[in-house]
Order: sequence, then C-alpha cells, then structure tokens
Amino acid sequence: MRSRAAAAVLSREGFKEAYSMEGGIRAWNGLRAAGPPDAGMAYFGPAQKPDEMIALAWILEEGACKFYTEMGKRQKGPDEAALFQELSDDEEKHKSSLFKIYQGRTGKDGDPGFPHSLLSLESGVDYLEGGVVLNKALEWAQGQELRDILDFSVSLEVNAIDLYIKMERKVESGEAKEIFQALSNQERNHLKRLTEAHQTLTS
Amino acid sequence: MGIMDYFKPVDTWSPDKVRQFLNEVSPQDYNLVDVRTPKEYEQGHLPGAQLIPVAELETRLKELDKTKPTITY
Repeated sequence: MRSRAAAAVLSREGFKEAYSMEGGIRAWNGLRAAGPPDAGMAYFGPAQKPDEMIALAWILEEGACKFYTEMGKRQKGPDEAALFQELSDDEEKHKSSLFKIYQGRTGKDGDPGFPHSLLSLESGVDYLEGGVVLNKALEWAQGQELRDILDFSVSLEVNAIDLYIKMERKVESGEAKEIFQALSNQERNHLKRLTEAHQTLTS
Repeated sequence: MGIMDYFKPVDTWSPDKVRQFLNEVSPQDYNLVDVRTPKEYEQGHLPGAQLIPVAELETRLKELDKTKPTITY
C-alpha cells in the first residue's frame, strides 16, 4: 500500500516509468497479501478544475476523519487510540480550511451543494483515497493487525500530500496557495507520526 | 461522473514480473526502491534494493534517476 502511494509520488515528480510491486515483500516471499478493497487505484487525475479538486479533497478528508475515528475506537492501547483520535480531529479541521478556500474563490457564504454536487456524486457514501468506499475499508480493517492499518493510513497521508501539492500548483491566489501548503505540511506531520508508530511496532 | 473518474491507476507489476526484470536487466539501468521502514528493511529486502522510506521520498528524490524505470515496494 505504501508502495502504491510512493509510485504515485514518483509519477507526479516526472518519473516516466514507476511501478509498484503488487503485494509487496509478502507476495515476493510467496505469501498472499490481503490488501484493502480496490487497492489497485491510487493517484488523482491531473485534469480537474480547482473547485472540483477542493470538493474532492473535502470528501476525502471527511472519509479519513471517519476512518481514523473508527480506528481510534478499536485500539486497545491508549497511545494508539489517542494517535488516531488526534489525526481524526485534524482532518476535521482540514475540512473547514478547504471550505474557506472554496468560499474565497466563489464569494459564496454558504453552498448547500458543496461538495457533492460539484462532483455529481451521491451524498451519503463516504470515500477514501483511491475511491475506496469507507465502509469497505472499515470492513477490511476488522481482521487486520495494527501494522496493516498503519500501513494503509500511511498511504492515505502520502496521497493527501500528493493532492495538496498538486492543488497548490494549480490555484492562482496566494492565500489559497498558503492554505494548501499548510495542509500538506500537516499531512506530512501525520505521515511522520504514523511512520514512527509503525516503526515502533516492527521492533 | 463517478468517484473513480477522479483517480488514475498506478502501474503495478507482479512479483514474478519484477523477478524476471531483475534477472534480465543490469542494476545500473533501473531504480529498485524499498519504501518501508529501516527496521523492515533490515529484516529482509530484495537484492540490491535501496532504502528510502516513503515519508522521506519527497526530500530524497535526487538520489534516483528519473529517466530509469523505477520499481517500488
């Protein structure tokens, strides 16, 4: 999962050929790796309008927020529970930052159609990075070890950073650029914390 | 439009395809990157793989030649 996200970063940075090895080292060793649902998909298509990307980011933040909340509830260790809860709280704040950028761009105080109507998506279904349906990811997570859940979370964060870097390049307003930069920095911090938690488990 | 229209698939290779590629191509002609943590790397990695944990990838891109095929795992 981390490797898909890595390959997406390389593609963004202009690597012509970047391949992720399916199933990672476990598959290399002949073990069957159980990935999350629809794990073949990853990065964000380049040809979207900024407002659509903002709406998409908002939807993905909401999905991540709910995913982390649920993971926090499932953890027995207090440190892990607190980590997931903090991540969830941050993603909730990111939704407000994104809406603020949208308001700045459109001049609208409120918009009942945001974000779903901008993308012609049904409301009521939550999504994660790659278009993974939240409920399927939660189902998948049920039988997984913490290590695999952290691995999946790392890939969510890498893709979030990827999206914010692209958006920062795409928008013209200096204020929006700054907000996207702040968002990608916060996601980098999440990535660092998740990586550290993962590292601790592997010892 | 469906949600999937907003995402592009990442190219993936099966372990067999990677095995075959590594056997046939000279190590100077590709990048093989282990994006896991240093501890996982120590516990075992693919022959010749270079360790760049995914969290460091953005800042360490210069270590890779972007004109060469690059395999991540």
